[in-house]
Amino acid sequence: MKRILIDAAKCDGCMNCTVACMQAHREGPGTVYDLDLTDIRNESRNHIVGCADGSYKPIFCRHCDQPECVMSCMSGALQKDPVTGHVKYDEKRCGSCFMCVMNCPYGVLKADTATRTKVIKCDFCEGLADGPSCVSACPKKAIFVEEVEV
Amino acid sequence: MRHIIIGAGAAGIQAAQTIRSLRPDASVLVIASDEYVHSRCMLHRYLSHERDEAGLSFVPEHFFEDQKIEQLLGVTVSGIDTGERRVILADGRAFPYDRLLIATGANSFIPPVGQFREANNVFGLRHLKDAQEIRALADPAEKILIVGSGLVGMDAAYAFLEQGKEITVVEMVDRILPLQLDETAGEAYRKLFEAAGCRFLLGKKATETVMNSSGAVETVILDDGTRIDCDLVLVAAGVRPAIECVKDSGIRAERFIEVDDYLKTSCEDVYAAGDVTGIAGIWPNAKKQGETAARNMCGQAVKYEDRYGMKNTMSFYGLTTLSLGRGAVQEGDQVIRCQDSKGYRRAILRGGKLDSILIQGAIDYSGVYQYVIKNQIDLSGIQTDIFHLSFADFYGVGERGQYLYS
Repeated sequence: MKRILIDAAKCDGCMNCTVACMQAHREGPGTVYDLDLTDIRNESRNHIVGCADGSYKPIFCRHCDQPECVMSCMSGALQKDPVTGHVKYDEKRCGSCFMCVMNCPYGVLKADTATRTKVIKCDFCEGLADGPSCVSACPKKAIFVEEVEV
Repeated sequence: MRHIIIGAGAAGIQAAQTIRSLRPDASVLVIASDEYVHSRCMLHRYLSHERDEAGLSFVPEHFFEDQKIEQLLGVTVSGIDTGERRVILADGRAFPYDRLLIATGANSFIPPVGQFREANNVFGLRHLKDAQEIRALADPAEKILIVGSGLVGMDAAYAFLEQGKEITVVEMVDRILPLQLDETAGEAYRKLFEAAGCRFLLGKKATETVMNSSGAVETVILDDGTRIDCDLVLVAAGVRPAIECVKDSGIRAERFIEVDDYLKTSCEDVYAAGDVTGIAGIWPNAKKQGETAARNMCGQAVKYEDRYGMKNTMSFYGLTTLSLGRGAVQEGDQVIRCQDSKGYRRAILRGGKLDSILIQGAIDYSGVYQYVIKNQIDLSGIQTDIFHLSFADFYGVGERGQYLYS
Protein backbone atom coordinates (compact mmCIF):
# COMPACT_ATOMS: atom_id res chain seq x y z
CA MET A 1 0.00 0.00 0.00
CA LYS A 2 0.99 3.63 -0.42
CA ARG A 3 1.81 5.46 2.80
CA ILE A 4 2.97 8.99 3.56
CA LEU A 5 6.36 8.44 5.15
CA ILE A 6 7.75 10.99 7.58
CA ASP A 7 11.29 12.23 8.16
CA ALA A 8 10.54 14.42 11.14
CA ALA A 9 14.12 15.71 11.36
CA LYS A 10 13.59 17.53 8.06
CA CYS A 11 10.37 19.25 9.16
CA ASP A 12 10.86 22.95 9.88
CA GLY A 13 7.26 23.53 10.94
CA CYS A 14 6.27 25.74 7.96
CA MET A 15 2.80 24.18 7.93
CA ASN A 16 2.53 24.24 4.14
CA CYS A 17 1.14 20.69 4.48
CA THR A 18 -1.57 21.90 6.82
CA VAL A 19 -2.63 24.74 4.54
CA ALA A 20 -2.55 22.40 1.52
CA CYS A 21 -4.82 19.97 3.35
CA MET A 22 -7.25 22.75 4.26
CA GLN A 23 -7.28 23.87 0.62
CA ALA A 24 -7.81 20.31 -0.62
CA HIS A 25 -10.82 19.83 1.63
CA ARG A 26 -12.49 23.24 1.39
CA GLU A 27 -16.14 23.17 0.41
CA GLY A 28 -16.35 25.77 -2.37
CA PRO A 29 -14.02 26.38 -5.30
CA GLY A 30 -10.98 28.64 -5.13
CA THR A 31 -7.26 28.69 -4.69
CA VAL A 32 -5.02 28.79 -1.69
CA TYR A 33 -4.86 32.58 -2.15
CA ASP A 34 -8.51 33.06 -1.20
CA LEU A 35 -8.68 30.20 1.33
CA ASP A 36 -10.12 31.52 4.60
CA LEU A 37 -7.73 30.21 7.23
CA THR A 38 -10.02 31.39 10.01
CA ASP A 39 -13.10 29.53 8.73
CA ILE A 40 -13.58 26.65 11.16
CA ARG A 41 -15.05 24.56 8.35
CA ASN A 42 -11.67 24.50 6.61
CA GLU A 43 -9.96 21.99 8.83
CA SER A 44 -6.74 20.19 8.20
CA ARG A 45 -6.49 16.40 8.47
CA ASN A 46 -2.86 16.64 9.53
CA HIS A 47 -1.21 18.76 12.18
CA ILE A 48 2.26 19.68 13.32
CA VAL A 49 3.25 19.86 16.96
CA GLY A 50 5.99 22.32 17.82
CA CYS A 51 8.00 20.85 20.69
CA ALA A 52 9.75 22.58 23.59
CA ASP A 53 13.15 21.48 22.21
CA GLY A 54 12.53 23.41 19.00
CA SER A 55 11.74 20.35 16.91
CA TYR A 56 8.54 19.76 14.96
CA LYS A 57 6.55 16.55 14.91
CA PRO A 58 4.23 15.90 11.95
CA ILE A 59 1.09 14.02 13.04
CA PHE A 60 -0.37 12.32 9.97
CA CYS A 61 -2.84 9.45 9.61
CA ARG A 62 -0.87 6.23 9.11
CA HIS A 63 -3.73 4.30 7.49
CA CYS A 64 -2.53 1.73 10.00
CA ASP A 65 -1.87 -1.95 9.38
CA GLN A 66 -4.20 -2.70 12.29
CA PRO A 67 -6.36 0.41 12.41
CA GLU A 68 -7.75 0.96 15.90
CA CYS A 69 -10.19 3.54 14.51
CA VAL A 70 -11.80 0.89 12.30
CA MET A 71 -12.00 -1.51 15.24
CA SER A 72 -13.79 1.12 17.29
CA CYS A 73 -16.27 2.18 14.60
CA MET A 74 -19.77 1.03 15.51
CA SER A 75 -21.46 2.34 12.37
CA GLY A 76 -19.21 0.85 9.69
CA ALA A 77 -18.25 4.38 8.55
CA LEU A 78 -14.54 3.63 8.90
CA GLN A 79 -13.29 0.75 6.77
CA LYS A 80 -9.85 -0.34 5.61
CA ASP A 81 -9.97 -0.67 1.83
CA PRO A 82 -8.70 -4.17 0.99
CA VAL A 83 -7.26 -2.97 -2.33
CA THR A 84 -5.56 0.36 -1.50
CA GLY A 85 -5.00 -0.36 2.20
CA HIS A 86 -6.27 3.12 3.03
CA VAL A 87 -8.74 3.71 5.83
CA LYS A 88 -11.81 5.31 4.33
CA TYR A 89 -14.40 7.36 6.15
CA ASP A 90 -18.02 7.50 5.03
CA GLU A 91 -19.51 10.61 6.58
CA LYS A 92 -23.08 9.52 5.81
CA ARG A 93 -22.76 6.30 7.80
CA CYS A 94 -21.01 7.93 10.75
CA GLY A 95 -22.92 7.75 14.04
CA SER A 96 -20.91 10.65 15.59
CA CYS A 97 -19.91 8.59 18.63
CA PHE A 98 -16.23 9.65 18.45
CA MET A 99 -14.96 6.33 19.73
CA CYS A 100 -12.40 6.55 16.88
CA VAL A 101 -11.06 9.84 18.28
CA MET A 102 -10.48 8.10 21.59
CA ASN A 103 -9.08 4.91 20.07
CA CYS A 104 -6.52 6.33 17.62
CA PRO A 105 -3.34 5.66 19.65
CA TYR A 106 -1.54 8.51 17.90
CA GLY A 107 -4.12 11.23 18.50
CA VAL A 108 -4.58 11.94 14.80
CA LEU A 109 -8.36 12.23 14.78
CA LYS A 110 -10.68 15.00 15.92
CA ALA A 111 -14.35 15.87 15.73
CA ASP A 112 -15.17 18.63 13.25
CA THR A 113 -15.20 21.98 15.01
CA ALA A 114 -18.21 23.44 13.21
CA THR A 115 -20.86 20.76 13.84
CA ARG A 116 -19.26 18.11 16.09
CA THR A 117 -21.02 15.45 14.03
CA LYS A 118 -18.17 14.24 11.82
CA VAL A 119 -14.60 13.11 12.10
CA ILE A 120 -11.75 14.94 10.40
CA LYS A 121 -9.88 12.11 8.70
CA CYS A 122 -7.20 11.85 5.99
CA ASP A 123 -8.57 10.49 2.70
CA PHE A 124 -5.16 10.38 0.99
CA CYS A 125 -6.57 13.03 -1.38
CA GLU A 126 -8.32 10.25 -3.22
CA GLY A 127 -8.74 11.08 -6.89
CA LEU A 128 -5.86 13.59 -7.10
CA ALA A 129 -3.44 12.44 -9.81
CA ASP A 130 -0.40 13.92 -8.05
CA GLY A 131 -1.18 12.18 -4.76
CA PRO A 132 -1.78 13.80 -1.39
CA SER A 133 -1.73 17.61 -1.41
CA CYS A 134 0.30 17.80 1.81
CA VAL A 135 3.16 15.85 0.22
CA SER A 136 3.16 18.04 -2.91
CA ALA A 137 3.30 21.14 -0.71
CA CYS A 138 6.21 20.10 1.53
CA PRO A 139 9.32 22.10 0.57
CA LYS A 140 11.64 20.02 2.77
CA LYS A 141 10.65 16.54 1.60
CA ALA A 142 9.91 15.73 5.22
CA ILE A 143 6.86 13.83 4.02
CA PHE A 144 6.85 11.62 0.94
CA VAL A 145 4.74 8.83 -0.46
CA GLU A 146 6.17 5.35 -0.73
CA GLU A 147 4.84 1.91 -1.43
CA VAL A 148 5.16 -0.17 1.74
CA GLU A 149 4.69 -3.91 2.05
CA VAL A 150 1.46 -5.05 3.58
CA MET B 1 -13.94 -26.93 7.46
CA ARG B 2 -17.32 -25.71 8.71
CA HIS B 3 -17.28 -22.63 10.95
CA ILE B 4 -20.45 -21.61 12.73
CA ILE B 5 -20.81 -18.28 14.50
CA ILE B 6 -23.73 -17.64 16.80
CA GLY B 7 -24.42 -13.91 16.94
CA ALA B 8 -24.29 -11.11 14.38
CA GLY B 9 -23.02 -8.27 16.55
CA ALA B 10 -19.59 -6.67 16.58
CA ALA B 11 -17.75 -9.84 17.64
CA GLY B 12 -19.66 -12.27 15.41
CA ILE B 13 -19.41 -10.21 12.22
CA GLN B 14 -15.73 -9.41 12.78
CA ALA B 15 -15.04 -13.11 13.29
CA ALA B 16 -16.91 -14.09 10.12
CA GLN B 17 -14.98 -11.51 8.13
CA THR B 18 -11.64 -12.61 9.59
CA ILE B 19 -12.26 -16.30 8.91
CA ARG B 20 -13.22 -15.46 5.36
CA SER B 21 -10.04 -13.46 4.77
CA LEU B 22 -7.83 -16.20 6.28
CA ARG B 23 -9.66 -19.16 4.76
CA PRO B 24 -11.17 -18.22 1.40
CA ASP B 25 -12.60 -21.73 0.92
CA ALA B 26 -13.95 -22.47 4.39
CA SER B 27 -17.67 -22.61 4.97
CA VAL B 28 -18.86 -19.90 7.34
CA LEU B 29 -22.40 -19.73 8.71
CA VAL B 30 -23.69 -16.91 10.93
CA ILE B 31 -26.74 -17.80 13.01
CA ALA B 32 -28.43 -15.03 14.99
CA SER B 33 -31.67 -14.06 16.65
CA ASP B 34 -31.40 -10.60 15.09
CA GLU B 35 -33.36 -10.19 11.88
CA TYR B 36 -30.99 -7.52 10.64
CA VAL B 37 -27.32 -6.93 11.28
CA HIS B 38 -27.40 -3.77 13.35
CA SER B 39 -25.26 -1.65 15.60
CA ARG B 40 -26.56 -1.73 19.15
CA CYS B 41 -24.83 1.57 19.84
CA MET B 42 -27.13 3.32 17.38
CA LEU B 43 -30.55 2.06 18.47
CA HIS B 44 -31.40 5.49 19.87
CA ARG B 45 -31.19 6.86 16.34
CA TYR B 46 -33.94 4.43 15.41
CA LEU B 47 -36.04 5.62 18.34
CA SER B 48 -35.61 9.20 17.14
CA HIS B 49 -36.65 8.23 13.58
CA GLU B 50 -33.28 9.43 12.27
CA ARG B 51 -32.43 6.00 10.88
CA ASP B 52 -34.41 3.01 9.66
CA GLU B 53 -33.50 -0.66 10.08
CA ALA B 54 -31.08 -0.63 7.15
CA GLY B 55 -29.48 2.58 8.43
CA LEU B 56 -28.42 0.80 11.62
CA SER B 57 -26.32 -1.74 9.76
CA PHE B 58 -22.57 -1.57 10.26
CA VAL B 59 -21.70 -3.80 7.31
CA PRO B 60 -21.79 -3.00 3.58
CA GLU B 61 -25.10 -3.62 1.83
CA HIS B 62 -24.35 -7.01 0.26
CA PHE B 63 -21.97 -8.15 2.98
CA PHE B 64 -23.01 -11.80 3.21
CA GLU B 65 -23.17 -12.37 -0.57
CA ASP B 66 -19.91 -10.53 -1.25
CA GLN B 67 -18.05 -12.35 1.52
CA LYS B 68 -19.68 -15.69 0.67
CA ILE B 69 -20.84 -16.06 4.23
CA GLU B 70 -24.04 -18.00 4.83
CA GLN B 71 -26.53 -16.44 7.19
CA LEU B 72 -29.50 -17.59 9.16
CA LEU B 73 -30.98 -14.55 10.86
CA GLY B 74 -34.09 -14.26 13.02
CA VAL B 75 -33.78 -17.73 14.54
CA THR B 76 -33.26 -18.92 18.10
CA VAL B 77 -30.51 -21.30 19.09
CA SER B 78 -31.90 -23.61 21.74
CA GLY B 79 -28.79 -25.60 22.49
CA ILE B 80 -25.35 -26.81 21.55
CA ASP B 81 -24.59 -30.52 21.37
CA THR B 82 -20.83 -30.49 21.96
CA GLY B 83 -20.64 -34.30 21.72
CA GLU B 84 -22.18 -34.51 18.27
CA ARG B 85 -20.79 -31.03 17.44
CA ARG B 86 -24.10 -29.56 16.37
CA VAL B 87 -25.93 -26.29 16.92
CA ILE B 88 -29.62 -26.94 17.54
CA LEU B 89 -32.31 -24.40 16.75
CA ALA B 90 -35.61 -23.95 18.57
CA ASP B 91 -37.42 -25.07 15.39
CA GLY B 92 -35.63 -28.42 15.58
CA ARG B 93 -33.08 -27.90 12.83
CA ALA B 94 -29.48 -28.83 13.62
CA PHE B 95 -26.25 -27.63 12.00
CA PRO B 96 -22.95 -29.50 12.33
CA TYR B 97 -19.75 -27.54 13.02
CA ASP B 98 -16.03 -28.14 13.05
CA ARG B 99 -15.34 -24.86 14.86
CA LEU B 100 -17.93 -22.88 16.76
CA LEU B 101 -17.90 -19.29 18.02
CA ILE B 102 -20.44 -18.11 20.56
CA ALA B 103 -20.86 -14.34 20.22
CA THR B 104 -24.39 -13.99 21.52
CA GLY B 105 -23.71 -10.74 23.35
CA ALA B 106 -25.91 -9.72 26.23
CA ASN B 107 -29.49 -8.94 27.13
CA SER B 108 -30.93 -6.08 29.13
CA PHE B 109 -31.30 -6.66 32.83
CA ILE B 110 -34.77 -5.81 34.08
CA PRO B 111 -34.67 -5.57 37.89
CA PRO B 112 -37.53 -7.22 39.80
CA VAL B 113 -39.21 -3.93 40.70
CA GLY B 114 -42.99 -4.20 41.03
CA GLN B 115 -44.38 -5.62 37.79
CA PHE B 116 -41.49 -4.53 35.55
CA ARG B 117 -40.94 -8.10 34.38
CA GLU B 118 -44.61 -8.87 33.62
CA ALA B 119 -45.82 -5.58 32.15
CA ASN B 120 -46.20 -5.13 28.39
CA ASN B 121 -44.92 -1.54 28.32
CA VAL B 122 -41.60 -2.01 30.13
CA PHE B 123 -38.53 -2.55 27.97
CA GLY B 124 -34.78 -2.73 27.96
CA LEU B 125 -32.98 -1.28 24.94
CA ARG B 126 -30.48 -3.74 23.58
CA HIS B 127 -31.69 -5.25 20.33
CA LEU B 128 -33.42 -3.82 17.29
CA LYS B 129 -36.41 -5.91 18.29
CA ASP B 130 -36.58 -3.91 21.56
CA ALA B 131 -36.31 -0.63 19.67
CA GLN B 132 -39.07 -1.68 17.26
CA GLU B 133 -41.42 -2.56 20.11
CA ILE B 134 -40.51 0.60 22.01
CA ARG B 135 -41.02 2.84 19.01
CA ALA B 136 -44.44 1.37 18.28
CA LEU B 137 -45.53 2.30 21.81
CA ALA B 138 -43.50 5.51 22.08
CA ASP B 139 -44.97 7.13 18.99
CA PRO B 140 -48.45 7.54 20.52
CA ALA B 141 -47.09 7.90 24.10
CA GLU B 142 -46.86 11.20 25.93
CA LYS B 143 -45.07 10.37 29.15
CA ILE B 144 -42.01 8.16 29.15
CA LEU B 145 -40.08 7.10 32.24
CA ILE B 146 -36.44 6.10 31.94
CA VAL B 147 -34.91 4.15 34.79
CA GLY B 148 -31.14 4.64 34.86
CA SER B 149 -29.08 7.57 33.59
CA GLY B 150 -26.22 5.64 32.01
CA LEU B 151 -25.39 5.98 28.33
CA VAL B 152 -28.29 3.83 27.15
CA GLY B 153 -30.76 5.77 29.29
CA MET B 154 -29.48 9.17 28.21
CA ASP B 155 -29.30 8.20 24.54
CA ALA B 156 -32.94 7.14 24.74
CA ALA B 157 -33.92 10.28 26.66
CA TYR B 158 -32.29 12.39 23.96
CA ALA B 159 -34.16 10.54 21.21
CA PHE B 160 -37.53 10.89 22.94
CA LEU B 161 -36.99 14.57 23.77
CA GLU B 162 -36.37 15.16 20.06
CA GLN B 163 -39.80 13.63 19.51
CA GLY B 164 -41.38 16.08 21.95
CA LYS B 165 -42.13 13.53 24.66
CA GLU B 166 -42.40 14.29 28.35
CA ILE B 167 -39.37 12.53 29.83
CA THR B 168 -38.52 11.67 33.42
CA VAL B 169 -35.21 10.02 34.28
CA VAL B 170 -34.80 8.26 37.62
CA GLU B 171 -31.27 7.59 38.84
CA MET B 172 -30.15 5.92 42.08
CA VAL B 173 -26.94 7.99 42.29
CA ASP B 174 -27.17 11.73 42.93
CA ARG B 175 -25.79 12.68 39.50
CA ILE B 176 -26.27 11.57 35.92
CA LEU B 177 -23.94 9.32 33.89
CA PRO B 178 -22.29 8.41 37.21
CA LEU B 179 -19.95 5.74 35.83
CA GLN B 180 -18.47 8.02 33.20
CA LEU B 181 -18.65 11.53 34.63
CA ASP B 182 -17.86 13.44 37.78
CA GLU B 183 -20.22 16.03 39.26
CA THR B 184 -19.05 18.95 37.14
CA ALA B 185 -19.19 17.11 33.83
CA GLY B 186 -22.50 15.45 34.71
CA GLU B 187 -24.06 18.77 35.65
CA ALA B 188 -23.18 20.26 32.26
CA TYR B 189 -25.23 17.54 30.58
CA ARG B 190 -27.99 17.69 33.18
CA LYS B 191 -28.50 21.39 32.40
CA LEU B 192 -28.58 20.75 28.65
CA PHE B 193 -31.14 17.98 29.07
CA GLU B 194 -33.22 20.07 31.46
CA ALA B 195 -33.23 22.94 28.97
CA ALA B 196 -34.68 20.45 26.46
CA GLY B 197 -37.47 19.61 28.92
CA CYS B 198 -36.09 16.54 30.68
CA ARG B 199 -36.97 16.01 34.34
CA PHE B 200 -34.43 14.26 36.59
CA LEU B 201 -35.16 12.52 39.86
CA LEU B 202 -31.71 11.79 41.28
CA GLY B 203 -30.72 9.76 44.31
CA LYS B 204 -34.02 7.87 44.07
CA LYS B 205 -35.04 4.31 43.32
CA ALA B 206 -38.11 2.80 41.69
CA THR B 207 -39.69 0.41 44.20
CA GLU B 208 -43.30 -0.26 43.20
CA THR B 209 -45.55 -0.18 40.18
CA VAL B 210 -49.25 0.13 39.45
CA MET B 211 -50.34 -2.03 36.52
CA ASN B 212 -53.67 -1.54 34.75
CA SER B 213 -56.06 -4.24 33.52
CA SER B 214 -54.48 -4.34 30.07
CA GLY B 215 -51.09 -5.23 31.55
CA ALA B 216 -49.37 -1.86 31.29
CA VAL B 217 -47.56 -0.07 34.11
CA GLU B 218 -49.37 3.25 34.56
CA THR B 219 -47.54 4.56 37.60
CA VAL B 220 -44.12 3.92 39.08
CA ILE B 221 -43.59 4.68 42.76
CA LEU B 222 -40.16 5.69 44.05
CA ASP B 223 -38.57 4.95 47.43
CA ASP B 224 -39.46 8.45 48.66
CA GLY B 225 -43.11 7.98 47.71
CA THR B 226 -42.99 10.05 44.50
CA ARG B 227 -45.51 8.75 41.97
CA ILE B 228 -44.69 9.02 38.28
CA ASP B 229 -47.42 8.46 35.71
CA CYS B 230 -46.16 6.97 32.47
CA ASP B 231 -47.24 5.41 29.18
CA LEU B 232 -43.97 3.59 28.69
CA VAL B 233 -41.01 2.57 30.86
CA LEU B 234 -37.49 2.09 29.56
CA VAL B 235 -35.19 0.29 31.96
CA ALA B 236 -31.52 1.07 31.40
CA ALA B 237 -30.04 -0.84 34.32
CA GLY B 238 -27.25 -2.71 32.61
CA VAL B 239 -26.96 -6.01 30.77
CA ARG B 240 -26.29 -9.67 31.48
CA PRO B 241 -24.34 -11.99 29.15
CA ALA B 242 -26.63 -14.05 26.90
CA ILE B 243 -25.57 -17.54 27.93
CA GLU B 244 -28.90 -19.40 27.54
CA CYS B 245 -27.71 -21.39 24.52
CA VAL B 246 -24.86 -23.09 26.41
CA LYS B 247 -27.14 -24.55 29.06
CA ASP B 248 -26.48 -28.31 29.53
CA SER B 249 -23.87 -28.22 26.76
CA GLY B 250 -20.89 -28.82 29.01
CA ILE B 251 -19.47 -25.43 28.05
CA ARG B 252 -18.41 -23.87 31.34
CA ALA B 253 -20.41 -20.74 32.14
CA GLU B 254 -21.65 -19.11 35.26
CA ARG B 255 -22.44 -15.45 34.79
CA PHE B 256 -20.57 -15.47 31.50
CA ILE B 257 -18.84 -18.04 29.30
CA GLU B 258 -15.38 -18.85 30.62
CA VAL B 259 -12.60 -18.54 28.07
CA ASP B 260 -8.82 -19.00 28.16
CA ASP B 261 -6.26 -16.52 26.79
CA TYR B 262 -7.05 -17.77 23.28
CA LEU B 263 -10.78 -17.22 23.82
CA LYS B 264 -11.42 -20.97 23.77
CA THR B 265 -14.17 -22.23 26.05
CA SER B 266 -13.91 -25.34 28.21
CA CYS B 267 -14.99 -27.41 25.18
CA GLU B 268 -12.70 -28.35 22.32
CA ASP B 269 -13.17 -26.26 19.14
CA VAL B 270 -15.71 -23.98 20.81
CA TYR B 271 -14.76 -20.32 21.26
CA ALA B 272 -16.51 -17.27 22.65
CA ALA B 273 -16.08 -13.53 22.03
CA GLY B 274 -17.70 -10.23 22.92
CA ASP B 275 -20.02 -9.38 25.79
CA VAL B 276 -20.77 -13.03 26.47
CA THR B 277 -17.20 -13.54 27.78
CA GLY B 278 -17.48 -10.79 30.38
CA ILE B 279 -13.99 -9.51 29.43
CA ALA B 280 -14.54 -5.90 28.38
CA GLY B 281 -17.90 -5.46 26.81
CA ILE B 282 -17.51 -2.46 24.60
CA TRP B 283 -17.53 -2.26 20.82
CA PRO B 284 -13.80 -2.11 19.97
CA ASN B 285 -12.99 -4.89 22.43
CA ALA B 286 -15.82 -7.07 21.11
CA LYS B 287 -14.50 -6.66 17.58
CA LYS B 288 -10.96 -7.46 18.66
CA GLN B 289 -12.16 -10.55 20.50
CA GLY B 290 -14.06 -11.63 17.39
CA GLU B 291 -10.89 -11.24 15.37
CA THR B 292 -8.70 -13.07 17.90
CA ALA B 293 -11.17 -15.94 18.27
CA ALA B 294 -11.38 -16.27 14.49
CA ARG B 295 -7.59 -16.43 14.17
CA ASN B 296 -7.47 -19.19 16.75
CA MET B 297 -10.31 -21.03 15.02
CA CYS B 298 -8.19 -20.92 11.87
CA GLY B 299 -5.26 -22.55 13.63
CA GLN B 300 -3.16 -19.52 14.59
CA ALA B 301 -2.30 -19.32 18.29
CA VAL B 302 -3.13 -15.72 19.17
CA LYS B 303 -3.62 -14.50 22.74
CA TYR B 304 -6.26 -11.89 23.45
CA GLU B 305 -4.50 -8.90 25.02
CA ASP B 306 -6.73 -5.82 25.13
CA ARG B 307 -8.66 -6.08 28.39
CA TYR B 308 -9.04 -2.37 29.01
CA GLY B 309 -12.69 -1.44 28.83
CA MET B 310 -13.14 1.60 31.05
CA LYS B 311 -13.48 4.02 28.20
CA ASN B 312 -16.28 5.97 26.64
CA THR B 313 -17.12 8.94 24.52
CA MET B 314 -20.44 10.73 24.30
CA SER B 315 -21.99 13.66 22.55
CA PHE B 316 -25.26 15.36 23.45
CA TYR B 317 -26.47 18.79 22.31
CA GLY B 318 -23.11 19.49 20.65
CA LEU B 319 -21.13 18.84 23.85
CA THR B 320 -18.62 15.99 23.49
CA THR B 321 -16.93 14.15 26.34
CA LEU B 322 -14.24 11.52 26.61
CA SER B 323 -13.91 9.49 29.78
CA LEU B 324 -11.12 7.02 30.48
CA GLY B 325 -10.56 5.14 33.71
CA ARG B 326 -12.57 4.55 36.82
CA GLY B 327 -12.44 8.16 37.96
CA ALA B 328 -12.22 7.18 41.62
CA VAL B 329 -9.75 9.19 43.70
CA GLN B 330 -7.51 7.31 46.15
CA GLU B 331 -5.36 8.69 48.93
CA GLY B 332 -2.12 10.08 47.54
CA ASP B 333 -3.54 10.70 44.06
CA GLN B 334 -2.87 13.94 42.30
CA VAL B 335 -6.11 15.40 40.92
CA ILE B 336 -5.77 18.16 38.35
CA ARG B 337 -8.75 20.14 37.14
CA CYS B 338 -8.93 22.76 34.45
CA GLN B 339 -11.81 24.78 33.10
CA ASP B 340 -11.28 27.17 30.21
CA SER B 341 -12.76 28.16 26.85
CA LYS B 342 -12.07 24.64 25.55
CA GLY B 343 -14.15 23.02 28.26
CA TYR B 344 -13.66 21.08 31.49
CA ARG B 345 -10.92 18.55 32.11
CA ARG B 346 -9.93 16.43 35.07
CA ALA B 347 -6.97 14.09 35.38
CA ILE B 348 -6.17 11.64 38.18
CA LEU B 349 -2.48 10.77 38.46
CA ARG B 350 -1.27 7.92 40.62
CA GLY B 351 2.45 7.39 41.21
CA GLY B 352 3.50 9.41 38.18
CA LYS B 353 1.13 7.55 35.89
CA LEU B 354 -2.25 8.56 34.54
CA ASP B 355 -5.15 6.63 36.07
CA SER B 356 -8.18 8.46 34.69
CA ILE B 357 -8.95 11.40 32.47
CA LEU B 358 -12.14 13.24 31.67
CA ILE B 359 -12.24 15.73 28.82
CA GLN B 360 -15.45 17.63 28.19
CA GLY B 361 -15.60 20.03 25.28
CA ALA B 362 -12.86 19.82 22.67
CA ILE B 363 -11.70 16.18 22.56
CA ASP B 364 -9.45 16.79 19.55
CA TYR B 365 -6.39 14.55 19.21
CA SER B 366 -7.11 12.91 22.56
CA GLY B 367 -6.31 9.37 21.39
CA VAL B 368 -2.97 9.25 23.19
CA TYR B 369 -4.57 9.19 26.63
CA GLN B 370 -5.95 5.68 26.27
CA TYR B 371 -2.52 4.40 25.28
CA VAL B 372 -0.88 6.20 28.20
CA ILE B 373 -3.39 4.79 30.70
CA LYS B 374 -3.67 1.28 29.27
CA ASN B 375 0.09 0.82 29.11
CA GLN B 376 0.71 2.65 32.39
CA ILE B 377 3.32 4.93 30.83
CA ASP B 378 5.47 6.75 33.37
CA LEU B 379 4.86 10.45 32.77
CA SER B 380 7.25 11.81 35.38
CA GLY B 381 9.91 12.67 32.78
CA ILE B 382 7.52 14.46 30.45
CA GLN B 383 7.53 18.26 30.52
CA THR B 384 4.25 18.81 28.70
CA ASP B 385 1.33 19.41 31.06
CA ILE B 386 -1.14 16.58 31.29
CA PHE B 387 -3.90 18.29 29.31
CA HIS B 388 -1.60 19.04 26.38
CA LEU B 389 -0.08 15.61 25.91
CA SER B 390 0.19 14.54 22.30
CA PHE B 391 1.89 11.83 20.32
CA ALA B 392 4.75 14.32 19.85
CA ASP B 393 5.73 13.55 23.45
CA PHE B 394 6.28 9.89 22.54
CA TYR B 395 7.18 10.31 18.88
CA GLY B 396 8.70 7.45 16.95
CA VAL B 397 8.42 6.30 13.35
CA GLY B 398 9.09 2.71 12.29
CA GLU B 399 10.63 1.48 9.06
CA ARG B 400 7.39 1.15 7.15
CA GLY B 401 6.17 4.50 8.37
CA GLN B 402 3.99 3.09 11.14
CA TYR B 403 4.19 5.23 14.28
CA LEU B 404 5.84 3.75 17.38
CA TYR B 405 5.75 4.88 20.99
CA SER B 406 9.26 5.63 22.20
